[in-house]
Amino acid sequence: MTDQAIIRLAGITREYLMGGERIRALAGIDLEIGRNEYVAIMGPSGSGKSTMMNVLGCLDTPSSGQYWLNGHEVSRMADDDLARIRNREIGFVFQTFNLLPRASALSNVELPLVYAGTGARERRSRAEEALARVGLAERMHHRPNELSGGQRQRVAIARALVNRPSILLADEPTGNLDSATSVEIMRVFGELHAEGQTVVLVTHEPDIAEHAHRVVVLRDGRIDTDRRVEHPVGAASAVA
Amino acid sequence: MPTLRALLEGVTLAFDAMRGAKLRSALTVLGVVIGVSTVMVMASLVEGIKSQIFATVENASPQTFYVVRFFSSVPLNPDRLPAEVRIRKVLDERDVEAIRRADVIRHAGLWVQIPLRMEFRGERSQNLMVYGADNMLLEAQGGTLLRGRFFSTAELAAGTPVVVIETEVADRLFGRLDPMGEVIRIGGKSFTIIGIYQKPANIFQPPGAEDGGIVPARAAKENFRYDETNSLFITVLAERGISVAEAKDAAITALRVSRGIRPGDPNSFDVITQDQILDTIDSLTSAFFLVMIALSSVALLVGGIGVMAIMTVSVTDRTREIGVRKALGATRREILWQFLVEAGTLTGFGGLLGIGFGLAAGALLKTVLGLQSGPPLWSAVVAASASVGIGVVFGIIPATRAARMDPVEALRYE
Ligand SMILES: Nc1ncnc2c1ncn2[C@@H]1O[C@H](COP(=O)(O)OP(=O)(O)O)[C@@H](O)[C@H]1O
Ligand SMILES: [Mg+2]
Repeated sequence: MTDQAIIRLAGITREYLMGGERIRALAGIDLEIGRNEYVAIMGPSGSGKSTMMNVLGCLDTPSSGQYWLNGHEVSRMADDDLARIRNREIGFVFQTFNLLPRASALSNVELPLVYAGTGARERRSRAEEALARVGLAERMHHRPNELSGGQRQRVAIARALVNRPSILLADEPTGNLDSATSVEIMRVFGELHAEGQTVVLVTHEPDIAEHAHRVVVLRDGRIDTDRRVEHPVGAASAVA
Repeated sequence: MPTLRALLEGVTLAFDAMRGAKLRSALTVLGVVIGVSTVMVMASLVEGIKSQIFATVENASPQTFYVVRFFSSVPLNPDRLPAEVRIRKVLDERDVEAIRRADVIRHAGLWVQIPLRMEFRGERSQNLMVYGADNMLLEAQGGTLLRGRFFSTAELAAGTPVVVIETEVADRLFGRLDPMGEVIRIGGKSFTIIGIYQKPANIFQPPGAEDGGIVPARAAKENFRYDETNSLFITVLAERGISVAEAKDAAITALRVSRGIRPGDPNSFDVITQDQILDTIDSLTSAFFLVMIALSSVALLVGGIGVMAIMTVSVTDRTREIGVRKALGATRREILWQFLVEAGTLTGFGGLLGIGFGLAAGALLKTVLGLQSGPPLWSAVVAASASVGIGVVFGIIPATRAARMDPVEALRYE
């Protein structure tokens, strides 16, 4: 699995200064994630999950340590280079969906392609394809406020997928959804993983984490446990 | 062309943002609208007046120039002439003779223009400009003889009290009566009407400078009192095919010789060509223009500060959106560009409205004042680019703030 690693973290730390006090949100992380893995990152509140997500997603740079994404070191890259990496390699799914409220589902999904410089026609067909893939072909021209929570999160997933990223990063993707809708969204992640997508998600809910094939637990900015899930929820049906 | 696409997207976004903050946008747009329509209206006024005056001046023969005792753009007080004017000899027939003898000169005449009242059977006009001239006047100054005739050689030589009157004055004093052959009183003296002429179109003659009529130069000198500095002038026409510059040089040389001015000493007279008249008009309208630019700059500045305020609020309101865009791969430049386009669209929209208002007001002025030209195209182009420019310049600070936002912070913003 090492030779196939998409993500390799070595001695990653992230410190914040708050009122003269140094907070170590990440206190030395070593981690490898391979192609087509499905990893859940868990841990109590304040353990560093979101910070780790931001570093993995190239939204934030570590205070020290190295991060290789697809074999390229990204830990020392400049702002705009990170923006290009985010655009090509990362698909984000947020707890609060973060769709642009005035834009249609289709325009929201087209956005990463706009920044990739894709032509209008191709942009549209790829956005339609991504929306169809998450089962929203019928709702393409609706605005976010005309969609249910589950549908909004599907739009967000379509947006994350549309640039065919190496990794799909989701921070508490079911945090704002009821349990029935959560199951529905987790099924989408399961399907994407079954189709070959690498998925990393942050959650503090154990039953959500059980959908993943590997669970990494953080505590005080360090990896506490890293285990395989013997029988991931929904994996059988998805693989079959 | 990703930038063109981003531009279109930016414009769409800008209209979205405007719909979202109607009052703020309306105020900003209003400032720009006022600024831009001021520019347009002023520009059409200036252009209209200018083309009017130019048309009049150019109507007159381009072969004409004038010799005066002293050239000044405002009339001098004849009782308090400055020393530099007083030392100059008053123009007289000897000067005219000297100029006339130069071989590139077709005609030279010592003329006067005197503001006088005209009266017919108790009907009195206000002060009108009465010319003491000869038959070359219309050729020199423009205008057409409508009826009757000009002066005979005998009338010119004897100073017979006859007059060719201006058609508007004729209408005012005579109404339905036929003025031809009637005797009217000009400045208290009797003159027989022998012709009617129409002055060249020019609405911008100051009161008292409107044409009244033309009498033989000698008749004017014998009948009226006039001031020898402001009223008296020599009209010179160059020979056909001779440039004004050449004729002017010839006239100056002839006058210097005749007046015995030593080489190296300054002229004791001034020569005015139409180019100088046009230059004078030009500098007057340029001054007017500066005032106009100052006025509209204030309005545009208000619009600019408005756009800075609205963009600052807009950037704060949309912090999360900025975070999302950055997460999806927008670079600093792309965010900067987005907000600059938005600011430019906002003020550009105001600019378009202002151009609309300006065109309408300009067209109105054109009909009301009888101007020959409406708002000039260049003023619309200037107004449009200035308004977009204002948005971009005043949008730089808020747009830079947006571009520099940290994506993690922006995404966490509530
Ligand atoms: N921008 C920040 N400034 C200061 N401290 C921060 C900042 N972001 C996170 N932290 C601190 O870092 C630690 C880890 O935070 P976070 O990664 O959000 O944890 P989790 O997502 O697991 O709840 C916490 O103690 C938090 O207070
Ligand atoms: Mg968190």
